[in-house]
Amino acid sequence: MWHEVRGLKDDVDFGTPPRDGPPVALEIDGVMVTVPAGSSVMFAATKADRAIPKLCATDMLEAFGSCRVCLVEIEGRNGFPASCTTPVVEGMKVKTRSETLKRLRKGVLGLYLSDFPQSEIPDGWSEFHETLKAEGITSHPYGEAGANHFDAKVDDSNPYFLFDPTKCIVCSRCVRACAEVQGTFAITIDGRGFESKVVASQDQPFLQSECVSCGACVQACPSHALVEKSLFEGEYKHA
Amino acid sequence: MPNPIKPEKSVITTCAYCGVGCGFKAETRGEKIVRMIPWKEGKANHGHSCIKGRFAYDYYNAPDRVLTPLIRSSINDPWKSVSWQEAFDYAASEFKRIQAKFGVKSIGAVSSSRCTNEEIFLTQKFARAVLGNNNIDNCARICHSPTQFGLTNTIGAGAASQHFDSILQADVIMVVGANPTEGHPVFGSMMKRRIREGAKLIVIDPRKTETVESAHCKADVHLAIRPGTNVAILDSIAHVIVREKLYNEAFVRARCEVKEFENWMALVGDDKYAPELIGPIANVDPADIRKVARMYAGGPNSTIYYGLGVTEHSQGSTGVMCLGNLGLSCGMLGREGVGVNPLRGQGNVQGGSCLGSWPHVFSGYRFVTDYATRSSFEAEWGVTLDAEPGLRLPNMLDAAVAGSFKGMYIMGEDPVQSDPNQHHVIAAMKSMECVVLHDLFLNETSKYAHVFFPGSSSLEKDGTFTNAERRVSRVRKVIEPLAGLQDWEITVKFMNAMGYNVSYSNPGEVLDEIARLSPNYSGMSFALIDRIGSAQWPCNVDAPEGTEVLHREKFPRANGLGTFMLTEYVPTSERTSDRYPLLLTTGRILTQYNVGTQTRRTPNSLWHPEDLLEINEQDAVACGVRDGDWVKMSSKFGQIELRARISERVNPGIVYTTFHHAKSKANAVTSDLSDWATNCPEYKVTAVDVVRINAPTEDASLDAERLEPAE
Repeated sequence: MWHEVRGLKDDVDFGTPPRDGPPVALEIDGVMVTVPAGSSVMFAATKADRAIPKLCATDMLEAFGSCRVCLVEIEGRNGFPASCTTPVVEGMKVKTRSETLKRLRKGVLGLYLSDFPQSEIPDGWSEFHETLKAEGITSHPYGEAGANHFDAKVDDSNPYFLFDPTKCIVCSRCVRACAEVQGTFAITIDGRGFESKVVASQDQPFLQSECVSCGACVQACPSHALVEKSLFEGEYKHA
Repeated sequence: MPNPIKPEKSVITTCAYCGVGCGFKAETRGEKIVRMIPWKEGKANHGHSCIKGRFAYDYYNAPDRVLTPLIRSSINDPWKSVSWQEAFDYAASEFKRIQAKFGVKSIGAVSSSRCTNEEIFLTQKFARAVLGNNNIDNCARICHSPTQFGLTNTIGAGAASQHFDSILQADVIMVVGANPTEGHPVFGSMMKRRIREGAKLIVIDPRKTETVESAHCKADVHLAIRPGTNVAILDSIAHVIVREKLYNEAFVRARCEVKEFENWMALVGDDKYAPELIGPIANVDPADIRKVARMYAGGPNSTIYYGLGVTEHSQGSTGVMCLGNLGLSCGMLGREGVGVNPLRGQGNVQGGSCLGSWPHVFSGYRFVTDYATRSSFEAEWGVTLDAEPGLRLPNMLDAAVAGSFKGMYIMGEDPVQSDPNQHHVIAAMKSMECVVLHDLFLNETSKYAHVFFPGSSSLEKDGTFTNAERRVSRVRKVIEPLAGLQDWEITVKFMNAMGYNVSYSNPGEVLDEIARLSPNYSGMSFALIDRIGSAQWPCNVDAPEGTEVLHREKFPRANGLGTFMLTEYVPTSERTSDRYPLLLTTGRILTQYNVGTQTRRTPNSLWHPEDLLEINEQDAVACGVRDGDWVKMSSKFGQIELRARISERVNPGIVYTTFHHAKSKANAVTSDLSDWATNCPEYKVTAVDVVRINAPTEDASLDAERLEPAE
């Protein structure tokens, strides 16, 4: 049990929590790596220095498998499993990079971008921005004419952090951090599909919700949709 | 401004708020702190945080921060800004004059659990080596002194037996007089994580706290006892364990003094502690007492966490002993997942306790009367030390009122606001000739001070804190001290001005001195902590990287055995009457911290702008009080005015308030009774009367305005 919290490293995000099962050896892009049973393929890849791009995964939270950016190829298996939700198996052979994977990831990231304002891309340094850069995506493939959430209202009720739904990619990391790490269950996803949105309590401003301002959601957010106010100078507004 | 501005630098340090001692990365741009991010490798918090450590750090920058030393010859004069050297010289000359006139023992010092280990150690060195007496105390006196006494006398060490992570192996968690989700939120989150995995939860607390019931966390049993009946209820639980033979005989025979165990069995096994008799006294269902006893003894891993709800009673030490006895009798000590653990209120209460800031003991709880120990300190410090124990803080105040005690060096404390029976404390302060206060802000006590040393916040200095699990972590300087000196430097320079020649180039050298003089810290050094992140004492040749779980093989007592203390229940003399029909108990909430010096200067006050009196609907109807009404609460000791909140969290007959705001002056009503063994005040039980009033009288909010944060 402890490994989930004790095996964390400050400068590495393994993507899924460390485990302490018996050793399992597998091959990632030809690199042999041994990790405890119960670890994910994503965890093993990070150990093997073959980190896989990801958005909804982080090692302080259990795997969720929603963003579809961490897809890999596994010898002998069909399709492109998400590396975060796939447990390691002895002798498994994983490929984290290929032309097909690159195309798939680019496609998925492009869809995220279709609901992310172009003006917010330059100068960004969130995990989302870094992932775009790492995957070589600089342009906005679908333009801004389609349906989007660019007019969503910023919730700045909390004195310490704000929530800008425009930048939210609905990865549920905040929801899971509130539940798994903090244990308060103040945040949820309201609605389905395109209507899905992050809400506090019964769609209330954060300050009026059950939120206890522990900051776990802000820390977990990969796109600076939830972000500390102290990192801004002057009023918060979109570029 | 589409995106946040990226911080330039980060420094890993330790939060100065509660006893969890979370590791943080303090991020800066220029000389400004722009963000605190919980450190994933912090062994107390594993990357988690609460609102206080994560966000409420800006108090260091508050406009009323004092940045120059202040002096005045009379408390009726205005303050005069002076240079550091003038302040040191003035304070030293006053202390010397007082000692020449009233004797060596007419002055004392008080340190705070918000200071670093190094500062606490230097302050007690100041008293012992420079003032030449043992008049040194610290604020753990008013919170956890019974822990040291009660645990030392049963399991041999006045400290948590476990590390926090141990709770992840527990099957039964018993929380007594503590509210971790508000008082120790990061530990509370870990506890809730374990409860969601299926661990059982027992809560013994007069109030239905958030720990009792919150999302996906519900106590299997909540004993909502009458305040002041801890010892009765714990003896009754022990009674069931003894009568139903639920104890772990093999453990007791192997690890404990069997004769003392038998004496204890005879006491708690007596009919008078039967749940059927104690239930009505404590106002709980006898069947629940039996259920708790069976659950705790059944384990297989049962662990106890307790807080000030156990210690701040006239039988505080007895209550702690009851917990030690329970752990020993059921064999719930010496491995992971079990234990008896105090939850320390302030960041460095454990450090304050174990580094000799006490009138009777040196670091490691070794008596000043012991020749060998004293000699080792004399050799290191080059002076002859007093063999007679000094005065405790309450006794210093008494002696001040009596006229024999004339001066005090107070580091990071506000006794006028935080100590019981405020009127008495003020009388004591007024009768002293030189009070030297060392703090960030002018506070209630500064009204009676003659010298003010402007201190440095924990973000502006180096040192170490020891958290509630005995973990020593580094405090690192994030920005330069705003008033020019780090706190440890101030104390050293004050020592120098007093004529005691000593110098350190950095606080790591103070920690080295602590290591040389204290067996439990002998392996500690800045280098070790920098290398492995943090280390739990005992840290010595046998455990070079520290010790997570105590008592694995034996207990740190002369014969290596745990022992049982007799814990007869003696009801407090503070009881309700026709005049004072309700029992007041006090506590903390999440967003504010103690007397609020720091958090009230941050936006945290949005969540808790004032202290409220929680009152049950039944009592509210009887007193004619509606939700939000102003009420006057009076006790034998004083009266205060605050607003009422009708709440199901308290049972009929009980009222509850927090003590975070100076204007509500909760400690003006609390009783002057204290723990029989340690003088820890009985904050948790005061008989009071509540009367509705139309509006607060003028002066109730007068003083406080100045202290409220500028928003």
